[in-house]
Amino acid sequence: MRRLPWAAMVLLGACKTPQPMDTPAIIDKPGIRSREAVMTAVSEALGGANVTLAADALTKSSLLIINRRPLRDSAGRPVQGRETQMPERFFLVKSGAQCVLVHEKTGKRYPIGAVGCVEAK
Amino acid sequence: MRHLAWIALVLSACGGGKSPGVQSLDQLANKCAAPRSGTDPVTGKAFPDGPGSLSNEKAFLRAWIDELYLWYREVPAADPNQSATAIDYFNALKTPATTPSGNPKDRFHFTQATVDWEQLSQSGVDAGYGVQFVLIASRPPRKLVVAYVEPGSPAAGKIDRGADIQKIDGVAVLDGNPAPLNAGLSPAKLGETHTFDYKDVAGATHTVALTSASITHVPVQSVGTVATGANFKVGYMLFNDHLATAEKALVDAVTTLKGQGITELVLDIRYNGGGFLAIASELGYMLAGPGATGSKFFEKTQYNDKYPTTDPFSGRALTPTPFYNTSVGLSVNQGAPLPHLDLQRVFVLTGKSTCSASESVINGLRGVDVQVVQIGGTTCGKPYGFVPQDNCGTTYFSIQFQGVNAKGFGDYADGFEPGGITPSGVAGCKVADDFTHALGDPAEARLAAALQYRATQTCPPASASVAHGLTAGAGDGEAIRNFWRENRWQ
Repeated sequence: MRRLPWAAMVLLGACKTPQPMDTPAIIDKPGIRSREAVMTAVSEALGGANVTLAADALTKSSLLIINRRPLRDSAGRPVQGRETQMPERFFLVKSGAQCVLVHEKTGKRYPIGAVGCVEAK
Repeated sequence: MRHLAWIALVLSACGGGKSPGVQSLDQLANKCAAPRSGTDPVTGKAFPDGPGSLSNEKAFLRAWIDELYLWYREVPAADPNQSATAIDYFNALKTPATTPSGNPKDRFHFTQATVDWEQLSQSGVDAGYGVQFVLIASRPPRKLVVAYVEPGSPAAGKIDRGADIQKIDGVAVLDGNPAPLNAGLSPAKLGETHTFDYKDVAGATHTVALTSASITHVPVQSVGTVATGANFKVGYMLFNDHLATAEKALVDAVTTLKGQGITELVLDIRYNGGGFLAIASELGYMLAGPGATGSKFFEKTQYNDKYPTTDPFSGRALTPTPFYNTSVGLSVNQGAPLPHLDLQRVFVLTGKSTCSASESVINGLRGVDVQVVQIGGTTCGKPYGFVPQDNCGTTYFSIQFQGVNAKGFGDYADGFEPGGITPSGVAGCKVADDFTHALGDPAEARLAAALQYRATQTCPPASASVAHGLTAGAGDGEAIRNFWRENRWQ
C-alpha cells in the first residue's frame, strides 16, 4: 500500500493526527450521486459556495483543484488575467473502507460516504 | 472586510488618509443601501453589510479609488450626485486619458455581482459546448468562426476549426436578430441544445445540434516537432489557458519537447487570455532555463505612488515574482524541479485575445534577453492587474498595479505589436489568423510565417494570410468560450 507524503504533510500541517492508512483514491463509479457528494463536501469546506465540477471529477486523479469560475469580460478575455491567489486543492483518499476528501489548506477531512472509491494507480 | 484591514491601519496611522477627504476605508465599507443578510458562502461568516445609504457606498468607492487606483491622480472630480447608482459612479471614477494610439488608457474598469464573481468551479471546468468561437465582426455583416474544439467535449467530431457559422437556431449570423443568436451562443443553463448551421473549410454545409455541458479545458495541446533540418528542430505547443491544470500540462509538454531535442520553439498563445501569473513565470523559466533567468526576476508589481515599496494588501515589502524553477504546487507537487529548454529565441503566435499573463510571458522573456519573435496580431495590451473588491454585493475591478519585467519595461498598453517600431514593437510579422488550417499544421499561416521567419528572417506578403475571404489583419476577432459573460452581438 502506497503511503502519501503529501497527506502526512497536510495533516501534520493542520495539527491533525496523521492517517497512515490514507492512500490516494479515485471514484470508481462516477455518477450524479458521487458528483453531488463531492460538491457538497467541497462546498462545505469552502463556506457553502456553489461549485461546478466536471462529470469525471476525481475519476482520473485524486487531486481536485477549485478556483473561481472564470468570468470573462465583454471581449471574451478572463477578467482576472493576472491571478495571484492560489486555488483550493483537495485530495481524495481511501482511509480504511472510507472515502475521504481532504482539504489541503486546512487539513480538514470530509468523508463522502455515498461515494465508492478505489486506490489510484 | 477582505483586503482592507491593513490598508485601514495605514490610513488611520496617517491621520485618516493621504488623499483629501479620504476616510479610513474600513469605516466607509459595508454601509449599504440594501444590506445583504445571512451567510457569505465564501467566508462562511455573516455578510459584513450594515445599514447605510447610496451616498455611503459612493463615498467608499471614492476613497477606495483614491487610495488604490493606479492612476488615482487622473480621476476626475466626479459629482456623486450625478450618478444614479454606485456602479454608475464607479464607472465615472477612472482616468479619461488615452494611450499613444488613442485607445482609452483604462479599458478594464469593471463590475460584477458578487454572487456571480464568487461562484467556484473545478479548475479548467467551464460551461459550454467545448467550442472556442471567434467573433470576427460583431455588427452586421457579422462573422463567427470556430477557432478550435476542446478534445473530448460534446462538440468534438461534430464541428472543427474553420467552421463558418451561418445560422444559430435558424437565425442568420450575418444580419439576424441578436437576441436568439446570443441565446444560442451563451445558453442560460446546462443541458440546453441549440442548432448550428455552418460551412466547413471546403465549403460544405452542415447542421449540428450542440448541448451545453460542463467542459474540461485542455490547456496545452498539439505538442510536437513541426520542422526538422540538419542542425535544427522546431517544436510547437498550443497553450490556451493559464489554468491551474496547465502547470502539469506544461511540465509534460516541455519534457516531451526536451526529449525530442528541439532547438527552437513556436509557442502558440493566440487564444490565451491569461490566468495564473505563476504559470507564466514557470513557463518563462522552462523556456529560458537557469542560465538566462539566473537571479533575475520575472515580473515586478508596481502600485501607485502611495505604495512604492509595500504591498497594500498584505502590508509586506514588495518582492518581484521570480522565475519559478520549481513547481508552485498548482497541479504538480510543490517544489518539483521544472524541466527547461534553455532557448535563446522563442517564436510566439499572438492575436488580440493574447492578454495579461500571456503578455507577461513575452515581456518576462524579453526582460532576460531571450529573443522573442512575434507572429500574428497585436496583443490586447494589459500589463495591469487588480485585487477585486466586494462592497454591498457588487464586486469592483479597478486597475491597481502594473507588471514590469527585469528591464523595468511594462508600457505596452497598446499591446505588443509584431514588427512595430514603438517600444512595444516586437520583431516579427503581422499575419492574420488562418482558420482554413488546423492549429499546429505547418501550413497554417501564422505557424508557416514563423517557420519562414526562422529560415530567412523575412515575412510573408500581407495578402498571404486569408481565411474565408478575410484579408490579413482582419481575421483576428474576439474569442468566445463560455457563458459567463456579457453579450456582444449587436
